Amino acid sequence: MVKLRASGISDAGLQRASNEDYFAMDTARGLYIIADGMGGHSAGEVASKVAVDIIQRNITNWMKKEVPKDELFDFVDHTLGRMGNYILSGIKLANRVIYEMSNEYDEYKGMGTTIGVLAVMPSTVISANVGDSRIYLFRGNAIEPLSKEHNMAAEQLEMGLISQEEAKNSPLRHILTRNLGSLETVNIDIFEIEPMDKDRFLLCTDGLTDLVSDEEIMGIINQGDDLEHICQELINEANERGGHDNTTVSLVYIEQVEDERSGILNKLLPHFTRKK
Amino acid sequence: MARIIVVFNKKVIKEYPFTKDSLAIGRNDSNDIVIDNLAVSGLHARIDKSGDIYILTDLQSTNGTFVNDKIIASHKLQHKDKITVGKHLLFFAMSQEEQAKIKVADLDRTMILDTAQHKELLEKQAKEKGVEALSHKQMLGIISFIDGSRKGEIKLTKKLTKIGKAETSEVRLGGMFMPPTAATISRRPNGYALTVTSGRTKVKVNNETIKDSHFLNDFDTIEIGSCKFQFFSQESEEEL
Repeated sequence: MVKLRASGISDAGLQRASNEDYFAMDTARGLYIIADGMGGHSAGEVASKVAVDIIQRNITNWMKKEVPKDELFDFVDHTLGRMGNYILSGIKLANRVIYEMSNEYDEYKGMGTTIGVLAVMPSTVISANVGDSRIYLFRGNAIEPLSKEHNMAAEQLEMGLISQEEAKNSPLRHILTRNLGSLETVNIDIFEIEPMDKDRFLLCTDGLTDLVSDEEIMGIINQGDDLEHICQELINEANERGGHDNTTVSLVYIEQVEDERSGILNKLLPHFTRKK
Repeated sequence: MARIIVVFNKKVIKEYPFTKDSLAIGRNDSNDIVIDNLAVSGLHARIDKSGDIYILTDLQSTNGTFVNDKIIASHKLQHKDKITVGKHLLFFAMSQEEQAKIKVADLDRTMILDTAQHKELLEKQAKEKGVEALSHKQMLGIISFIDGSRKGEIKLTKKLTKIGKAETSEVRLGGMFMPPTAATISRRPNGYALTVTSGRTKVKVNNETIKDSHFLNDFDTIEIGSCKFQFFSQESEEEL
């Protein structure tokens, strides 16, 4: 078992009439999804919603039926367990659907979306992403990315062509190198870590990270325990700085992890008094 | 509809309406905009339309592509931009309707570049800077036992490697007080991290006891209970 609390807000910002972000939270299953759509007219809104719905519906269904990993959409990644493959498969399926839609209908031409998926389970935490929506881990006093950014500036930085500072201000950071919907297949970055008591996770779109630095985000996260309030504070911070884009934040706190990994000593020791 | 106006020696030579999603510029006849001049490469540059935005990309041309007299690899075109290709000038003009749209759309709008385009661009920049384009190879972590108890190395190909007594552990360790999972090594965006998952067994990195997580560096020595091994990484054969 893992005890979770979560809260999330999506806000259109101050300069856009519509909100192309979309997110879903399922705390009973520990499944959290976020998406930032793009495309003319209302296609961006469609893409992000379609992606989140498809991923959530399929992963939930596979979890319920405990579908073996080799019966999923597309090929199996043997370096991952079953849940990791559910997530990969769900994202690939969403990509294919959006890709087909954008080729089929004129009004959806060129639409796409970023995606971020976080699954918190008793033995592992899995994060997967495509595009520039982020997933962060806050553990102790540290902030750590659990997602990769797929934009030109991030790739230039990784290749050593530009500095961290240049990447931060580069206009190329808005040029994505991967998303859902533009190609028939998609490359997904996926990570697995072990959950620990008091771990906190943030899923967010670039409306936040464009305007608020990692350190500032951590400052706000550390303000307290009221998740709803902290989500609102993060949105407010982005809007106070112009709110030029849609902003979505989704916060997940692990209250407690209880699992079998600590072994026989753990089961015996509570029967004796023990000084820590 | 946007237009490209080609000017040579201060004279307008031809005007091209932007009727397709992509216009190729170069000396070869197969291009949409053919510029017959030796200073121009066969396939010199390309303009792609993505939604309301036009992106100009230099296709590793010999003499380069310039926008408003600055050399570019890739550039988001604005109304009235002056593109220089060889000795020819190409003026980019948007319709009033498009200009109005762009203003509304705002300049921070996210867009997507196709894979071939961005690879081309990055490779070119790497070449210019003399940087070897190697970082697209992944580093693979390996642990190597140095306690004599177990020979050989274990490649950390999984995202999460569990270390402990449990049968499901990727790295199985023995010992009376070894818990099912004593520690894990996870492959994260910032590298490999060792995390202590049970408070009962001492975990040391380079002789210092660690709690929580520790990012591993090459040749860190890890001790878990009485087992000892070293971490290092090498370039993986699989491409990203």
